[in-house]
Amino acid sequence: MSEILIYSDNDGTALELVSAGKEFAEELGATVSAALLGDGAAGKADDYFSYGADKLYVSEHPALGDFYVGTFAAALQQIVESGDVEFLLIGSTKRGKELAGRVAQKLNAGAITDANAMRVRDGNLEADRYSYGGNTMASQVVTTPKKVISVMPKTFELGPSEAKQGEVVNVDLDLEDPPVKVVERRDKAGDEVNLEEAEVLICVGRGVQSQEDLAMIEELAGLLGAEIGCTKTPASDWEWFSEERMVGLSGKKCKPSLYISVGISGQIQHTVGIVDSKIIVTINKDENAPMFNFTDYGIVGDYADVVPELNQKLKSL
Amino acid sequence: MTEADEEKVEVVVVGAGLAGLSAAYVLAQAGVDTVVVERGDYPGAKNVTGGRIYMHPLRHYLPDLWDDAPLERHVTRETITMMAEGASTAITLDNDKFREEPYHSYTILRSNFDRWFGDKVAEAGGFVLPKYRADDVLVEDGRVVGIVMGEEDEIRADVVVAADGVLSLIAEKAGLRQAQQPKHFAVSAKEVIELPAKSIEERFNLGPGEGAAQLYFGTLTKGMLGGGFIYTNQDSISLGLVVGIESLMEREPKIEVHEILEDFKARPEIRNLVADGEIVEYSAHAIPEGGINAMPKLYSDGIVVIGEAAGLGLNMLITVRGMEFAVASGVMAAEAILKAREKGDYSADSLAHYEELLKDSFALQDLETFRHVLGFMENPRLFNFYPQAVCDIFTELMWIDEKPKPKISTTVIREGVGKFLNWSTIKDGLGMLRI
Amino acid sequence: MDVIVCMKQIPDLQQIRIKDREPILDNVPLVWGDLDKNAIEEASKIKEAVEDVKVTVVALGSDKIEQGILEPLAMGADEAVLLTDPAFAGSDSMGTAKVLAKAIEKTGSYDLVILGEGSTDNYSGVVASALAELLNLPMISYVRELEVQDGKVKAVRNMEESFEVMEADLPALVTVAQEINEPRLPKFMAIRKAGAKPRHEWGPDDLGLAADEVGQNALSVETLSNLAPEQDRKNIILKGNLAEQIDALVDALTKEGVLGR
Ligand SMILES: Cc1cc2nc3c(=O)[nH]c(=O)nc-3n(C[C@H](O)[C@H](O)[C@H](O)COP(=O)(O)OP(=O)(O)OC[C@H]3O[C@@H](n4cnc5c(N)ncnc54)[C@H](O)[C@@H]3O)c2cc1C
Ligand SMILES: Cc1cc2nc3c(=O)[nH]c(=O)nc-3n(C[C@H](O)[C@H](O)[C@H](O)COP(=O)(O)OP(=O)(O)OC[C@H]3O[C@@H](n4cnc5c(N)ncnc54)[C@H](O)[C@@H]3O)c2cc1C
Ligand SMILES: Nc1ncnc2c1ncn2[C@@H]1O[C@H](COP(=O)(O)O)[C@@H](O)[C@H]1O
Repeated sequence: MSEILIYSDNDGTALELVSAGKEFAEELGATVSAALLGDGAAGKADDYFSYGADKLYVSEHPALGDFYVGTFAAALQQIVESGDVEFLLIGSTKRGKELAGRVAQKLNAGAITDANAMRVRDGNLEADRYSYGGNTMASQVVTTPKKVISVMPKTFELGPSEAKQGEVVNVDLDLEDPPVKVVERRDKAGDEVNLEEAEVLICVGRGVQSQEDLAMIEELAGLLGAEIGCTKTPASDWEWFSEERMVGLSGKKCKPSLYISVGISGQIQHTVGIVDSKIIVTINKDENAPMFNFTDYGIVGDYADVVPELNQKLKSL
Repeated sequence: MTEADEEKVEVVVVGAGLAGLSAAYVLAQAGVDTVVVERGDYPGAKNVTGGRIYMHPLRHYLPDLWDDAPLERHVTRETITMMAEGASTAITLDNDKFREEPYHSYTILRSNFDRWFGDKVAEAGGFVLPKYRADDVLVEDGRVVGIVMGEEDEIRADVVVAADGVLSLIAEKAGLRQAQQPKHFAVSAKEVIELPAKSIEERFNLGPGEGAAQLYFGTLTKGMLGGGFIYTNQDSISLGLVVGIESLMEREPKIEVHEILEDFKARPEIRNLVADGEIVEYSAHAIPEGGINAMPKLYSDGIVVIGEAAGLGLNMLITVRGMEFAVASGVMAAEAILKAREKGDYSADSLAHYEELLKDSFALQDLETFRHVLGFMENPRLFNFYPQAVCDIFTELMWIDEKPKPKISTTVIREGVGKFLNWSTIKDGLGMLRI
Repeated sequence: MDVIVCMKQIPDLQQIRIKDREPILDNVPLVWGDLDKNAIEEASKIKEAVEDVKVTVVALGSDKIEQGILEPLAMGADEAVLLTDPAFAGSDSMGTAKVLAKAIEKTGSYDLVILGEGSTDNYSGVVASALAELLNLPMISYVRELEVQDGKVKAVRNMEESFEVMEADLPALVTVAQEINEPRLPKFMAIRKAGAKPRHEWGPDDLGLAADEVGQNALSVETLSNLAPEQDRKNIILKGNLAEQIDALVDALTKEGVLGR
């Protein structure tokens, strides 16, 4: 019987994939297993079993201390090749994404990364991912004997859990010390936010000229009960926001009832993250901004005029 | 090559439109180190034309070049339509001559055509540099020695060819012309509307590869100087209109060009032609209307001005012409530069040869011949009174109801004499003799 | 030191039109990937900071690269390897990595290989990872600060929860993030001189690959469909003075039922 093997450096994402993998396994007549790698791996077994894993491969090999892509790829390769694994599903976190191509190469397999939907088709797993920067959605299948797919976090919901046990395989891996050392880790300021779930979302872009102006945006967010997100620059370059708040191709995919863009041009890599919004409102001073093509209601104007006026109005209601 | 030579080129052409590319093509073929600077993403990226190019002058000036050019349809039918309120009268010319090869004129789409032409220039050894904009000329000891791009880039050259189109910044910066006056321009708005070739051929009654050119004047410009056009391309229609800036500025209440275009498209005569088409391109552009009276000085030490930058264009109500002027002036400028190069003298005196060539050619002669057209066209009766009168007479002739009809001659005399014979129309008639 | 930069030409995404959900690519101009420009910029910076650096650009794609290659050469590359043989057309990510690896090996020497964190159109990240495996190189991805010194590379990479400072011995492979630098706009004279820089055009034979091992013949991923999502927006631009626009907006949003819940 073929096997679907799951790995993610983020356990939450891994468990989503275990839940989904269980359903695919039923359709494919396969089993679901997961790889638990690194310090403290063994302690996580119960969780993985409870969401449906049939079998767990566990290793706390010292080379798996800090995540290094080459070492983790070697570990997964050995696990895959030790059994009957046909599908390797990896959580498409940043680490997972870099891992996918590397382990695929080791397995002589094809790889699909950043899948955001998946289904069974003719005994294979078909995955959807953005193409042309988000202009289109490609449906693809891997055609090699082994298949690697990295799946975006939150693509699947966590299924029901039940107390359950399964087989634990303590794998004996042959790993070298990583050639890349983590010499320092600077934690980012914690930012607990779940933009994917927001009912109302306001995103700010490069058009918002100064950090002081965020005050009026925050006021608007307060009035609407909205979360604030952003395009790439305010997060990556200016560091006004954590990347948790970046929306788009390399950020979050959101589907609020109401989305308001402020000073955003509407390039595809951003809009791909908000096209599923119910209503889209745009405030931009350039009437030719592509954002207006994605818009239900647009105001052509300077946000510094529009937002305070809108706040005034909302307060008066 | 000396160190100094390495830091300069022989000719820098500003603008990869038809004028600039023609000049560069001739120069590059002659082995001249030529660079074309173009601000668009590629040659033709934003270039606007109505869409019809006359081939005979092109073949004359650049023989053998056009065989694989991306031409759309050869025009086999010409229509002029006078539009009145709720009515229009059209005159159509269908002539077997239009079906004889080599064809007389073609519709084109500049984004394809200029891009192809740019590749030809590159094949000939010219260097086309897109996405770079000339912002100024470099002047040393009173002569132009190159161009300035952005904050810190420049190109030094023996000669600068200003081919930067209707609002030529380069001619102005070089002191060859004054800041522009509105009355020397018209504005245009144009759409390219995609339709399957089959629909186009059915709607316009065309054979495969055949094209229609349709010009419109009358109430569509709401009393203002101007007119509309439709050209059929292979899989699309170019539709647009032209309005004098001055009449647009003076008009009360104010109206935007795109609103006029929308009204034009809403007319039943037009609506059905473009129905279900997808607008794939919208552009607005200026057109020179000043004619020979508004031309800049054409050359100076180290610089020549060509194409629309030199004001070479004719808006003659029934046709807009500019592209063959652009090609011809580009070729002539190149010839003058080649001659100057032989002498190693790029002074104004030496480059003056360019103007002599232009004067001997159709370009300046046509501009001279049609110098009064603009004045004639400023007559608002052309845009409301005459189209209305023609449509009225025609309607009177064609309308049958229960009442007895007068003799045709009676209708024509009553309607015609009553409407057309008065002092203003006689004056218009005399004015027509001048154009 | 030999620095290799892998760059991909892609259709200008903002100019892709969608018709009947199909992307229309005819006549869409090709541009270099955004992050690939960050990659060549970073290589040029290293070259400016460290002595004896040679930068080679390697690009697999259509023959349009022949024209486009001037840009990276003008930005600071010394040489270019063009993999434009028609046999390579249609390569998928693994196929691309295979050909790139052979070409990089053929250049003879590589101390640092720089790629974009993702290509602008695919953004899959697969090419870099597969290439690192094929060349058996240590890899640091998502790099936003890079330092090369004394046979070592030190990089700060941008992860979800932290910035990681990583170190490896050369040779190594890194992928760069957009915030690492601001790619330069090359000056005219640099572009002009770029024309004289050496280029190598290598086909499968030169790389010791058979034609049936590359391109369309070596796909590991099959694309079943590739369509744009349905988009149906109202596209209403609110008119009038600001107060009127705001009133109209609040009105509309209330009617849509997305306000005041
Ligand atoms: C591989 C890859 C992945 C990417 N992933 C993402 C992603 O996940 N998310 C993302 O957002 N981007 C992403 N990008 C970046 C993306 O390509 C764009 O660069 C980015 O989205 C543009 O952000 P912007 O709209 O804020 O800025 P700009 O494009 O600079 O637009 C600013 C807008 O503000 C308007 N404006 C200026 N002043 C005012 C004013 N006073 N009032 C009102 N309007 C004003 C301007 O008219 C303009 O339209 C990615 C890029 C790549 C290559
Ligand atoms: C609506 C309309 C309909 C027309 N219909 C017809 C017709 O049917 N037949 C006909 O023959 N003519 C027609 N014309 C006129 C014809 O299009 C022009 O005469 C012709 O395009 C002029 O060519 P050109 O090369 O001089 O200028 P352009 O074609 O305007 O080229 C100028 C080039 O210079 C570039 N440029 C400008 N400034 C700079 C700078 N600072 N740095 C770098 N590059 C720069 C521009 O991007 C452009 O590519 C029409 C014009 C319009 C607007
Ligand atoms: N055809 C190609 N030629 C050269 N480099 C490429 C090619 N495709 C991808 N790359 C490199 O691989 C990186 C990641 O691409 P991708 O795996 O498609 O996201 C890009 O940023 C480039 O540096």
